[in-house]
Amino acid sequence: MWPAWRLEVEVRVLCARHPHLGLLAALRRYPELRGEPVILGGAPELRLPVVAASAAARAAGVRVGQPLRQAQQSCPAAVFVPLDPAGIERLRAAICVELHRLSPTVEAGDEEAFGDLSGRHAEFPDEAAWASALARGLRSVLDVEIAVGVAGSRFVARLAARASHPGRIRRVRSGDEAVFLAPLPLDVLPVDPAVTARLAAFGLDCLGAVAGLGPADLQRQFGPDGLRLYRLARGEDSGGIHPVPAQRAWSERLMLDGATGDLEILLGGVRQCATALGGRLTTEALAAGEVSVVFEIEEAEPISASVVPAAASGNAGELWTAVLGLLGELKPQAPVAAVRVGVTRLSPATGRQADLLRPGDGAREAVVATAERLRSRFGATTVRRPRLALDPGDLPERRFTWEAPVAAGATR
Amino acid sequence: MPDSLSAALATLRSRYGPQALRRGGSPEQAGTWSTAVPVLDDVLTPGGLPHGRVTLLAAAGRGPSGRLTLLQSLAALASRSHDTGYVDLAGTLDPGFLADLGADLDACLVISPGPEKWERGLVMARALVTAGMPWVGVALGGEQSRASLWEHALAALAEAVAKRGAICVIATPAPVAAPLRHASSLTLVCAAAGWQRANGDVAGLRVRLTTSKSKLGAPGAEATVLLRYPRPYATAEVVGLPSVVVPRLQPITLPIPDVAGVAARG
Repeated sequence: MWPAWRLEVEVRVLCARHPHLGLLAALRRYPELRGEPVILGGAPELRLPVVAASAAARAAGVRVGQPLRQAQQSCPAAVFVPLDPAGIERLRAAICVELHRLSPTVEAGDEEAFGDLSGRHAEFPDEAAWASALARGLRSVLDVEIAVGVAGSRFVARLAARASHPGRIRRVRSGDEAVFLAPLPLDVLPVDPAVTARLAAFGLDCLGAVAGLGPADLQRQFGPDGLRLYRLARGEDSGGIHPVPAQRAWSERLMLDGATGDLEILLGGVRQCATALGGRLTTEALAAGEVSVVFEIEEAEPISASVVPAAASGNAGELWTAVLGLLGELKPQAPVAAVRVGVTRLSPATGRQADLLRPGDGAREAVVATAERLRSRFGATTVRRPRLALDPGDLPERRFTWEAPVAAGATR
Repeated sequence: MPDSLSAALATLRSRYGPQALRRGGSPEQAGTWSTAVPVLDDVLTPGGLPHGRVTLLAAAGRGPSGRLTLLQSLAALASRSHDTGYVDLAGTLDPGFLADLGADLDACLVISPGPEKWERGLVMARALVTAGMPWVGVALGGEQSRASLWEHALAALAEAVAKRGAICVIATPAPVAAPLRHASSLTLVCAAAGWQRANGDVAGLRVRLTTSKSKLGAPGAEATVLLRYPRPYATAEVVGLPSVVVPRLQPITLPIPDVAGVAARG
């Protein structure tokens, strides 16, 4: 009656754990500190907590979150370095660039990086080779050994990375999440400590015991958190990869030869800027999620208009199409001295190798990406995916919940 | 062909060009998507709903017509094999009801542009079709805004549907606006034919469907379908079959006149 195939994407997430980016940035700046006890957070007389500590400092008893003065008492020989936000952002950008070479969706945190390993990659025969390539790339960027975990969800991948060792990859096959999670203690759950204390008071000491409870029982005790606990204990968390939007912004400005109100000249100038920007986007293999046009008025405030196009603009033609739609909104009341075209929300324009044997595999990513752009343009509630609640009770309006259409490959 | 007609055709062609008049050929061919409802696939829409065309479910008049329930039933069917988008301009979609109809909610995207935002809803539908969404349902509702505000968005949606070979079904209230009539390749007029009752409760709605326009076959076909409402609070695992079914028609037997008896009496 219906076609036999069904579009299903097996989600696989890679988590790579590394020392805090602030520490790595400090070690790049001061290579002589390698192997020494280093504490990241600022001078010890500041009333601030420890952000990160090197292995030597941790061995001396320094803990993340403890006051810097207390850390100094624990390790008097430690070197205290301040946070270097610019260095951290440079490292984070380098991580994203490296991961994007091999994965379409990446997330770079301070101590973890996530990549999407769903589907197949044309260059690698299997997931292990793909994960190894990603790990080698990260190691070359950060110059430290990385502990990697691969699993079917973000939560399990993170735990797999913690269970792994620097230079090793721990893979949890799909379907084995419950077995992997069962012996782990409750403090690995990303929930309020009061919840884990209450679970312990019930005599539950590991995730396997929590997974054995029903969702209705957990909901009665913990409310909405109970349902989340149920999913986490079974490795069914819905937290996918949250790509950090690129903060880069490019613009091309053209000073006109004498202020003018001639629309033909303004159109030509805007087109010239759009063509130049589009060429840069193509060269860097990036796509712009937001486009703006600014008319700088002589002796007056500039006027501008911006739009989030339905499809990201990755070349001169697409950018010109988006810009053309904005020109109708700009009605300069005085001569224009300069025009400027800007693009923001830059993201890689490349994608992953779609599985040609799985119909619609590539289209789903494009659909979800388009849905995200529509959400950013029209509002988060305009495009959503319904999901049945596990234990809705007796109220029909609680039978379902709304969730965002996540990025391709990420766990729902 | 009479000589006078041939001469007239030749004059028109020479005056307005050879493309002014063309001989009608066979009906336009289009791939079809089976709805798994025999009366829809065989009688009203040969083979099923067409790919790359806009199908219109138009209400025959004010009041309940069953067009939205039929649209949601089709969307639920489609979600089992395609990614499906549902543009809810009528503001009436209940995902629980969709699940009761057998929909795979993981394959459904619900677009809620806001009440009476017809242009925005059509623009969003076009964006998703362009991105590769293979099946889109649009539930128009509320106060109809002026056609000039949204007809270009409708034309763009129809173009995107044709280009991508997608299936687009639009349910519209009465009266049907001219741009919708023009953009549609297949128009089914829905008229409520009475409630279906069981044990004193309303169990469904009988809907009379009429093909008022078809670029793929002959219009004029009529049929009645029963839209059976699923049980409340049913979960998606329980509902298996689609709830749009066809009532079995009883054969009509006519008495055969006794020709010999009439002749004898006459």
